[in-house]
Amino acid sequence: MGNETIGVRVAGVSKRYTHRVKGEIYAAREVALDVAPGEFLTLLGPSGCGKTTTLRIVAGFEMPDAGRVYFGGDDVTGKPANQRNIGFVFQNYALFPHLSIFENVAYGLRVRGADEKEIARAVGDVLTLVGLAGYEQQFSAQLSGGEQQRVALARAIVIRPRVLLFDEPLSNLDAKLRIQMRQEIRALQRRLAITTIYVTHDQEEAMAVSDRIAVMNQGSVVQEGGAQDLYHRPASDFVAKFIGRVNSIPATVTATGAAPAVAALGTTFAVRTLPAGLARGAAAQLMVRPEAVEVVAAGAAGALPATIVNSTFLGEKTEVELTCNGVGLQAIRYNAGQEAPLSEGAAVAVRLPEHALTVLPPAERSAS
Amino acid sequence: MTPFQRWLHRAQSLGASLLLSVLAAAPALAAETVNVYSIWPENWARPMFEEFEKATGIKVNFVRFSSGEALARVIAEKNNPRVDVLFGGPVETHAAGIAEGVFEPYKPPSFAQLPPRFRQADGQWVAIADDPLVFMTNAKFLKEYNLQPPASWNDLLAPAYKNMLQMADARTSGTAVTRIFSILEVNGRDENKAFDYMKKLRPNVQLYTKSGGGGTLPVGLGQAGGGIFFIVDALDTKAKGYDVVISFPKEGIGTAAEAIALIKGAKNPAAGKKLIDWASSPAMQNLFAKYKINFVPAHPDVQLEPSLAAVLKGAKIFPIDAEYAGANRKRIVERWIAEVLNP
Amino acid sequence: MAATVAAPARAAPGAHRDPVVAGTAFVLWALLALFVVYPLAMLLGRVVYDQGQFSLTGLVAILADRHQLRAFWNSLLLATLVGLIGTVVGFLFAFTAARGRLPRWLLGVMDASVLLPLVSPPFTTAIAMIFSFGPRGLITYDLLGLKGVTVYGLTSTMFSEVITYFPIAYLTLRPILAGIDSNIEGMALSLGASRWRVFRTVTLPLSTPGLANAFLLLFAASLADFATPLILAGNQFPVLPTQAFLQITGMFDLRGGAALSFVLLVPALAVFLLQRYWVSRRFYVTVTGKGAGVAPFDSVSPAVRNALLALCALIAVSIAYFYALLLYASLVMALGANHAFTLQHYRVIFTEGMKAIRDTMIIAGFAMPLGGLYGILLGYLVTKKQFIGRRSMELVSMVNYALPGTIVGIAYLIAFNDPPIELTGTALIIVACYIFRYGPTGIRATVALLSQIDKSLEEASQGLGAGSGTTFRRITLPLILPAFFAGLGVVFIRSMTAISATIFLVSVSWTLITVKILENITELSLGPAAAFSVLVCVIVFVVIAVIGRLLRVFRAPGAPSVTSMLGG
Repeated sequence: MGNETIGVRVAGVSKRYTHRVKGEIYAAREVALDVAPGEFLTLLGPSGCGKTTTLRIVAGFEMPDAGRVYFGGDDVTGKPANQRNIGFVFQNYALFPHLSIFENVAYGLRVRGADEKEIARAVGDVLTLVGLAGYEQQFSAQLSGGEQQRVALARAIVIRPRVLLFDEPLSNLDAKLRIQMRQEIRALQRRLAITTIYVTHDQEEAMAVSDRIAVMNQGSVVQEGGAQDLYHRPASDFVAKFIGRVNSIPATVTATGAAPAVAALGTTFAVRTLPAGLARGAAAQLMVRPEAVEVVAAGAAGALPATIVNSTFLGEKTEVELTCNGVGLQAIRYNAGQEAPLSEGAAVAVRLPEHALTVLPPAERSAS
Repeated sequence: MTPFQRWLHRAQSLGASLLLSVLAAAPALAAETVNVYSIWPENWARPMFEEFEKATGIKVNFVRFSSGEALARVIAEKNNPRVDVLFGGPVETHAAGIAEGVFEPYKPPSFAQLPPRFRQADGQWVAIADDPLVFMTNAKFLKEYNLQPPASWNDLLAPAYKNMLQMADARTSGTAVTRIFSILEVNGRDENKAFDYMKKLRPNVQLYTKSGGGGTLPVGLGQAGGGIFFIVDALDTKAKGYDVVISFPKEGIGTAAEAIALIKGAKNPAAGKKLIDWASSPAMQNLFAKYKINFVPAHPDVQLEPSLAAVLKGAKIFPIDAEYAGANRKRIVERWIAEVLNP
Repeated sequence: MAATVAAPARAAPGAHRDPVVAGTAFVLWALLALFVVYPLAMLLGRVVYDQGQFSLTGLVAILADRHQLRAFWNSLLLATLVGLIGTVVGFLFAFTAARGRLPRWLLGVMDASVLLPLVSPPFTTAIAMIFSFGPRGLITYDLLGLKGVTVYGLTSTMFSEVITYFPIAYLTLRPILAGIDSNIEGMALSLGASRWRVFRTVTLPLSTPGLANAFLLLFAASLADFATPLILAGNQFPVLPTQAFLQITGMFDLRGGAALSFVLLVPALAVFLLQRYWVSRRFYVTVTGKGAGVAPFDSVSPAVRNALLALCALIAVSIAYFYALLLYASLVMALGANHAFTLQHYRVIFTEGMKAIRDTMIIAGFAMPLGGLYGILLGYLVTKKQFIGRRSMELVSMVNYALPGTIVGIAYLIAFNDPPIELTGTALIIVACYIFRYGPTGIRATVALLSQIDKSLEEASQGLGAGSGTTFRRITLPLILPAFFAGLGVVFIRSMTAISATIFLVSVSWTLITVKILENITELSLGPAAAFSVLVCVIVFVVIAVIGRLLRVFRAPGAPSVTSMLGG
């Protein structure tokens, strides 16, 4: 079988099921994805958003009610998982407890009928690759979480799958390990250039490893793009709030057209763009990230007066809660070491730079 | 096909053919053989069959069943019989078989010499032995309660025997039927009197056993005080070393013949007939003494073995009228079930 | 972290996508049709067709008979009591073995004493009971001075059946208890629950599939047991299987006897459906491939542990007593009469009884692996795969187990005596009878064990490209091996000790040790009967020890931890 890198295309995939309480609901609704060959795409979203269902449909563990899945030019929609040549990494690793590490990793190769020498070589190589050389004769019960995860990874990639699929593989690890593992996964994927779909609910993780992120909510993809796109130009209230933290300031549209502007916090802000459909006088949200909120001395030019409600020193940064014109704001200031301390109750001023402002329609009433 | 499926397929066909060849193999037929269901216990049947083989060269393949089981088998197999001869067993078993049409009439040479009660008119069965009923009691039990061995049917009604008697269940055992018809006989065939007696006896009966000899062990062990059994079973108990006493009621007690029959549709009818010839003649019955088989021989030319004769001396034994028993068996047994077994 | 959730069942890819599943299901259905459905249909035909006419009057009469109705209710009562008490006793032993942290030798002793009753023909316990508890019994009369005690009736029958069948509960529960992730119990303890509370709210509920299965097995076994009540029930406590047997062999009423036995199917299947419906509402996952370790804490306090141990010891000693009596009987001339030491009985069984011994070993040798395999395949298929008739397959597989052996025997006799399929007089008919009658133990053990293995293990295998055959063979099978050995062991044991079905299937060519034992008892030859029984015990012990050794050698590390054979 040719092992050229292929892309994955998901077209209009839907999956319904009947919930005991809620009745019939969509686990996935008209999901469309286009993963370029060698690309690392993450499906990101809160639990129940349909990311795992979509992943399992791509894997072949579940069949969609509608839509198709393509691996390169192949329509694999009807094929069961064992015919798709995928590498799947489970959240709970799913290592075969009764087989040694060597046998676990060799499993897929044996299924494919490789001969002993080839297996020994490939397994040895991949274990070295994941840093577990010498672990061949151990059993999963003897390994730590991180080590087990790496075995799961090795097992999935040694067979040179067309597509790598990860189902929240790091959620059971501690924070430091998570960070380390995600970097390793990313590095490995880059090196092997296998098309990868990765599922997680952790937005920081998503941003760290992915080429592109598809944010999902309630069964649908709500926005796709690179980390920077999603972070700086969220298309919806949901995405803005899901990725990173954001200040949502009630605002009113004062001007549309070539020089759009909104009124908020008792003053007017010029903005780059307005979302379609907002006319003059319409209510809107002015979104600005905490780290973009400049906290300056009271009375500084071009800054709005504000009072510090709360200040938390976190080492590399200080998080500040302020009130400005009756509106609560969050700000983050990175400490280079010589700034004035920000104490509670102090009167200060805030500046909101135009480039950091995004206007969105008013908050959606989310139906849960 | 995946490799596994191919492997499975091969393993299955190999395993299946191996299995079938071993298990479904019909028994290898060497010289002439005859297949028999024996109701006689193996200890007695085996020596008889070995002697038969010595005498005729015909090998006997047999398996032992109790009378009820044997007949049930024969009836179930009647479209395709697996055996040629039904050997031994009380005649009333064979009478039930006649009703089902499983026997082939055949009159061996000694047919004419046998008294009428030892042969079925058409030759559907022929008697090979006679088996009187006896009272058997545990010696220690008698001593403890200061009792003489029971010499009358009424002796068994004594309060000392409360819950201490064991005897056969009429639903399953020919012994019981013989016993019940004995009671009828000593009561002049007055059914009500007979059933009165049996109802009075009921509280003394600890257990009605499935097989005729089932109660002999408890009596031998002393778990029961006594019971009513065929003489062969009683003498066997004694021979094993159990301390039991055999006695007879003065009013008299019945005896039942043991029969042999040819199965209809038998696959080896010639050999079967030879076995019947041999068994119904002195050739076999003279051997009872040698092997300590305590049946009374059916053939009139055979002498009763002296020690057996001694036991039977002075006992009043009468045959059960086959016709009377045959005609009323079902009804009497049903009445017994309803009124005596579980009133 | 292992998950215990009530999950909406995700449907596996159907059989139509999976030729291996479809093929295996077809083969199993064919076998079931031939060896379960066909004989019973033939029997039913015999029952309702009287001389070619469809007639139910005779049947109605017998079913409405006051005596038979009493037998019916007695059967239910007995079965329920035996099911409950037997499950409790089995659980007691299993729990003590699994959580008592017993030294290896003590575990061996426990396994041996539990195995004893399972391993010997029931008649001999019954005889020992009469000897011990009769009116002149060793215990009742000589020891306790009680007079006029009657040993026949419900209590003795129940006691004897509990002793005979509780090992089945033990075998079913041991792998379940061993497989429960101890972290879950540790979790509960860490939340402040007392050990008792942990037991009550965590261990016990997680054992429910096993408990339900055990009760079902014991209930069905007691319901169908004809041998023990035959000796011990007496005339005051009739039960249906014995009544059916007597109807056939005493009254030569095949139709009536068969009708009575069919009645027994109703409660047996009812209990089965109940358990199926109830247990299938929960989804227990505790083997996840994440390597659960040995219990890190004490789930029972030392005081409780000693109490449990004492209780088990008490029961074990009672069992040992019966079998000591048996051994004694085999070594004396005539038990109760002549207590001179002799080896004559053993001489007898190895000469005259040699054919029976050889025949029995051959048949058991074939039935054992086939029965174990059947149990695993069917258990796996009906639990994990979707295909047409899945639910009914499970139901049908239980039928021969639920019916009294007498009826199965008669049905086989009728069905396979005449063309088109002539099997009477062969060993195959006996082997088939054993497989399909005693296989369900393995099926239920497989089902219970499977409910404890995480689905992601099989998906992982599939994701790596393995078909369902390979996945079953390389992943599932090693993990449910205890169930396979449980099924295998039980079929072997039953093959060595069964009587009720096979009494109708022995022939001039093939005979069995148990039939010989019954014969000997009937002929008052206690010595040979006891000698045969001792021989059976020894053979079974040896074979099972060998299997246990093999299991330990080939043990899949990380599989639900097994410390002894037969699902321990």
